[in-house]
Amino acid sequence: MKPDIVRTGDTWSILLGTRSYEVTVVEEAPGELAVSVDGRVVQVRRAGPAGPAGLARRTRQEKHVAGGTEGPQTITAPMPGRIVKVLVTPGDAVAARQGLVVVEAMKMENELRSPKAGTVTDVRVTQGQLVDARAVLVVVE
Amino acid sequence: MRKILIANRGEIAVRVIRACRDMGLASVAVYAECDRAARHVRMADEAVAIGPNPPADSYLRIDRLIDAAAQTGADAVHPGYGFLAENEDFAAACRDAGLRFIGPTPEAIALMGSKTAARAEAVKAGVPVVPGSDDPFGADVPDATIAAAAEQIGYPVMIKAVAGGGGKGMRLVADPGGLASAIRAARSEAGAAFGDSAIYLERRLIRPRHIEVQLLGDAHGHVVPFVERECSIQRRHQKVIEETPSAVVSPKLRAQLTSAAAAVARAVRYTNAGTIEFLLDEDGRFYFLEMNTRLQVEHPVTEMVTGVDLVRWQIRIARGERLDLDPAVAITPRGHGIECRIYAEDPDAGFMPSPGRIAAMRVPAGPGIRDDSGVEAGAEIPIYYDPLISKLVAWGADRREAIDRMQRALREYDILGIRTTVPFFRWMLAQPAFESAVFHTGYLDELLQQRQGEPFGSPDKEDEEVAALAAAAYTTYVGRVPPSTHDMRGGPAGNRGGPAGNRGGPGWKSVARAESLRE
Repeated sequence: MKPDIVRTGDTWSILLGTRSYEVTVVEEAPGELAVSVDGRVVQVRRAGPAGPAGLARRTRQEKHVAGGTEGPQTITAPMPGRIVKVLVTPGDAVAARQGLVVVEAMKMENELRSPKAGTVTDVRVTQGQLVDARAVLVVVE
Repeated sequence: MRKILIANRGEIAVRVIRACRDMGLASVAVYAECDRAARHVRMADEAVAIGPNPPADSYLRIDRLIDAAAQTGADAVHPGYGFLAENEDFAAACRDAGLRFIGPTPEAIALMGSKTAARAEAVKAGVPVVPGSDDPFGADVPDATIAAAAEQIGYPVMIKAVAGGGGKGMRLVADPGGLASAIRAARSEAGAAFGDSAIYLERRLIRPRHIEVQLLGDAHGHVVPFVERECSIQRRHQKVIEETPSAVVSPKLRAQLTSAAAAVARAVRYTNAGTIEFLLDEDGRFYFLEMNTRLQVEHPVTEMVTGVDLVRWQIRIARGERLDLDPAVAITPRGHGIECRIYAEDPDAGFMPSPGRIAAMRVPAGPGIRDDSGVEAGAEIPIYYDPLISKLVAWGADRREAIDRMQRALREYDILGIRTTVPFFRWMLAQPAFESAVFHTGYLDELLQQRQGEPFGSPDKEDEEVAALAAAAYTTYVGRVPPSTHDMRGGPAGNRGGPAGNRGGPGWKSVARAESLRE
C-alpha cells in the first residue's frame, strides 16, 4: 500500500489507506529531524556514521540505552549557564549518579551526575564560570 | 487610569495586555534585549527597552521601569508575578512617582513578604500555622542555634527562606546529619533569588496536600475569598498541575478555609489580589503556610470555574472601585478546572531546561480549553528567565471531563525545536493515583524516583514508521522542490509520495529504533 502524503507548511498529512496521521516535521540540526506524530515526538536522523556531535541529551540517552560507559566519560554542559558549584576534584573516586557539578540556567540549579563509578581525571571549570552548551566540564574514567 | 505599563514578560505580560484591551486601556510593554521580538512587545500599544538580558539589568531595574512609565505617560503599573511583583520597594517607587501600583500596598507586601511575620499575623487572626521557628535566622546566626531549634521542632524539618516564594531556598532535612549542607544550600539559593539569606524552620507534615485560597480585597474594607485550588502535584516544591475545586475539600471544609483566609487578609487590611496557602494534613486539619501578595500563575483555573476575570478586578480595585462581587458566586465552583504548566524542559533528561528556538508550534483549542502562552513558532526561549512557555487550562462539568479534555488538548499540542513537559503531562494525567485524586505534595517526586529516568511517552513502532515516511517526504520535497502543495500534487503520478513509497525511506532512521538495534 502506497502512503498518500500531502504537505501544508510544516505540517504533513499522511494517509495509510484510510488511517490518517497529522505529522509536523522540522530540521533541528543538519541531518536531524524532529517529527511529531499525533503529538508524540520522534527524533529521526540520517543513518550511517553519526553527523556532527549530537545534542547533549541524545548523547546521554545513547549512553544510557547502550549501557556504553566504557572508557573515559566526559560530562558536558547541556545548555549555556553558570557553574554554581564544583563538587569534585581530580583524583576523587565517584559512584554512579554521584553529583559532579551544579549548573544554573533559567533560574534553576541542575546537578550533573556521574554516568558511572570511577575516578575523576579532569575538572575543567571553576565556580562562577559561564559555560556554553556542550562545554566539557568534568571527565570521569 | 488610561495607560498601564506591564513590568513583566512572557505569558503573564500577554495576559495583562489582553485585560487592558478588554477594558479599553492602553498598554506599555517593557523588554530586555533578547525580547525585542517577543509576543508581549508586539501585542502592546507601546514598548520600551529597559536593558540587557540578565534580569538584574532589566526586568528588576526599578529606576528604568519608572522611567519607562514616565516616558510613555503610563499612569499605572501591573507587576505580573515573579520579578518585582512582591517587592515593596517597587510598589513604593510607583506610589512615589504618582503611578497606581496594581497590587497591594508596599506595607502589606513587606508584612506578608516576611514569612515569619506572616505566620505571626495568621496566629493573631486565630488561624493555625505549621509548628516551626517563630523568629527568622539571619545570615549571621550560627548553625548550632538552628540545629537546637530543629531538635525542638523535631525531624524531619523544612528549611525555608524568610523572603521566600516559588519553592526557592527550600530544603527538606530528614535528620541532623543533613542540616548543615541544607542550610548552606537554602541560604545560597535564597540569597541569589531574593537578596536575603534569612531562613526559618517548619515541621515537615506527613503527606500533606497543598490547598490555597485566592482572594480579592478592595480599598473599602471588603474581602472576597474564592473556592480553593489544590496544587499538590509538585516537582521539587514547584507546582506543575493546579486544579479547582480540590477533590478532598467538602463544602464544610471550604467554608472553614475561605473564612480563615479572609480573616488573615482582613487582619492586614489587604487590598487587590492575593492568595493564602495552606497545608491540609491526612486528618483534614489545615495550617496557614504563607501568603502570596500578587496574582498567581494558576489564577486561570479559578477564572474558569467562577467566571470572574481576576486581572480585570485587579485593575478595577486599583482605580478605587468597590468589590461588588457576590461572595456566594466566588466560593461556588461551576464545574472543574485543571492547569498544566508547560515548561521548556526535557522531562526525559531530568527536566533539564531546554532553551532554544521554537521551530514549529500549534496550540490546542476547542471545548473547555484555554491556552495562555507568551510564545509562538519562531520564538527563542532565552536562558535568562523562567522556562514557563504556556499554561494549558481545561474546564469540564466535573473532574473526569476536565481530565479527558486536558488529555485531548495535550495530544493536539504540537511543539518542536525545543523539548517541553507535554509528554510528561500525558503520562501524569493517566496515573491511577492522579485520576482518583489520591496524592500529596511529595507524591510526584516519589513517583519520579521510582521511574529511574525511564522515558515518558516513548513513540511506538507505528509512530516511528510514520515519522520515517514523513522524514523521507521531507528530504524529497523540502529544499529540492519548491515547497507548495501544487508541486506536491501536480507532479508526475509516479512521484507521488516519492521515495516514501519505500517504507521508511532511504537514509533516515528513527533514533529510537537505531538505539534499540544497537542494544
